[in-house]
Amino acid sequence: MNELSEFFGRRIPAKAAIPQLGAGMLAVQPVGQRYRCQRCQQWLAPTDRLPNGAWYCRQCLEMGRLTSQTKLYTIPEPNRFAIPAEPMLTWTGTLSDNQQRAADAVLHLVQRRQNQLLWAVTGAGKTEIVYPALAWALARGWRVAWVSPRVDVCLELAPRIQQAFRTTSQCLLYGEQSIPYAYSQLTVCTTHQLLRFERAFDWIIVDEVDAFPLATSPLLQGAITRAEKTTGQHLYLTATPGEALQRQIRRHTVATTYLPLRYHGFLLPRLRVRLAWRWREALAKHRLPPALIRRLRAYRQAGQRFLLFVPHVRDLTTVMAALRQADICGGVGVHAADEQRTAKVQALREQRVPFLVTTTILERGVTFPNIAVVILGGDDGVFSTAALVQIAGRAGRSADFPKGEVTCYVQSQTRTVRQAQRMIDQLNRQGKQRGGRWP
Amino acid sequence: MTNCVWCQQAFQPRVTLRDILTWRPLPVPPLCTRCQDKFTPITAQHCPACGRQQETIAVCHDCERWGTAALRNRALFRYDAGMKAYMQQYKFQGDYALRKALQAPLQQALEQENYDVLVPIPIDQQTWLTRGFNQVTGWLRGQPYQQALVVRATHKDQPQSAKTRAQRLLTPQPFQLDPRIASDLVNQRVLLLDDVYTTGRTLRHAATQIYLGGAKAVTSLTLAR
Repeated sequence: MNELSEFFGRRIPAKAAIPQLGAGMLAVQPVGQRYRCQRCQQWLAPTDRLPNGAWYCRQCLEMGRLTSQTKLYTIPEPNRFAIPAEPMLTWTGTLSDNQQRAADAVLHLVQRRQNQLLWAVTGAGKTEIVYPALAWALARGWRVAWVSPRVDVCLELAPRIQQAFRTTSQCLLYGEQSIPYAYSQLTVCTTHQLLRFERAFDWIIVDEVDAFPLATSPLLQGAITRAEKTTGQHLYLTATPGEALQRQIRRHTVATTYLPLRYHGFLLPRLRVRLAWRWREALAKHRLPPALIRRLRAYRQAGQRFLLFVPHVRDLTTVMAALRQADICGGVGVHAADEQRTAKVQALREQRVPFLVTTTILERGVTFPNIAVVILGGDDGVFSTAALVQIAGRAGRSADFPKGEVTCYVQSQTRTVRQAQRMIDQLNRQGKQRGGRWP
Repeated sequence: MTNCVWCQQAFQPRVTLRDILTWRPLPVPPLCTRCQDKFTPITAQHCPACGRQQETIAVCHDCERWGTAALRNRALFRYDAGMKAYMQQYKFQGDYALRKALQAPLQQALEQENYDVLVPIPIDQQTWLTRGFNQVTGWLRGQPYQQALVVRATHKDQPQSAKTRAQRLLTPQPFQLDPRIASDLVNQRVLLLDDVYTTGRTLRHAATQIYLGGAKAVTSLTLAR
């Protein structure tokens, strides 16, 4: 029984032969002239062939190699969960009026089994808004997945959801996990892990739907569709919907719940733009814009912690060296491939370091109370409009310190910077109508 | 523009004046410069017996411990974090396309070696079924070789990479000569080819069998040390 539950709603290779599984299907199958992987649904290149004659898929290789000799097995999702009599939601916090209204709207749409989008500003408390709807779904015996393209987001979410739904069986799945898979009602995982599921979930909640790599990856978008039951539905969560989603919102093709105000009722910090003449050339000579130096010095003297965003990983060392020369010391640099990434972020949270210099990896999913945000080179191509809005959203998240400063140094006003400013201002205008006020 | 076979990123291969003047199809490098830099080539300062990178050109401590069972091995790259990551994906995850990454340096090295017969270290039947390729012959670009060695059928053991040094040194002879090819080895200079030289146990077992077949000299070449 226990070994069979591993196959519920999934499509995975079997380690040993189990008679109840049936014949299974070949993992790589010929379709027309070409071969196609049955896990990631990608086409194989004509060169992806082994000397023993088998074809293998390179696209999902990191999840374990599938060849045309491997067989995949699946058992249709039976929704075999024990539903306790007491309420599922063990979360004791309260929602603000605005949050409650959004939560009711989300619950209503879930009950009508509609695909939907929750567009709420950074720091609106999106997770908590979904709780009532999630409790309703779990009480109905639904199997639910909470997924995100970012592993950091999953790692931060899992303990929070564990606390909020203590009686529900849960598991956390991501690439480098050490705990084995367990059949459970609520799955928190990265979007990549959905490739192993098939028609499993009654409801999929996609957190940070506009984040890299999901936004640009048909492979991952396909994974979400396939992991959903044919009767299933999904909820997208985002603070910065991309072009395609915004178009759907305008055309009313997706049911949208909109929350332009943070949970503490204060408006978003505005994005201030300062011109820094030829900062890129100056950086090549290991110099930073004087105005930036002055600002960071002032922060250091006031004991204000800050995040300094730079465009590329290769800029990190130059900026760190230039900061040291300007006598702004004590901070550390963080980038995606950094092994001590989580430790460094934790150090800033515990106030052991005064500042972090980082790339766009910290643009979303992280919260520091009372932090100032500085962006060097906001006109660089890596900072999209969504990225800038998200970065600005790191400031002023705490109810005790709702006032946050966000400064962006650019050589010239670019379209992305102006769009980001416009988006924040527009959200603030709508927030004001709902009773938002300046801190 | 072409895609790096390892990191899949698109990159622009460098074109030199010589490439243009020779008037041939431009060579397409399999790796981008960033992935190429993950490999550290072994310089002239290495142990003459096992090919290990070191400060001097004297025989290293590990080779002295082997005593009379001498072997002359040459290695191309250090077995460092980059090479380990490569082997992990190529050999253990089974990404056969990565063979292209090291074909060119191996071809160059083979051209510098003096030998008559090239003998790659074989893999056992079980590995052939699960992995689907021999990682050593994958690096060859059509250079002729003789599969003179086969793994004994009785040899059912954990892989060398999962053992400690002491355990590895105690490994019994895993190979035997293929009787159909054995006659081709008489009075020939044989070059053994393997992926990684760790303790030298495997290569010495192989060399012993080749000498039994009547070879005049046996040397070896490995990708990593």
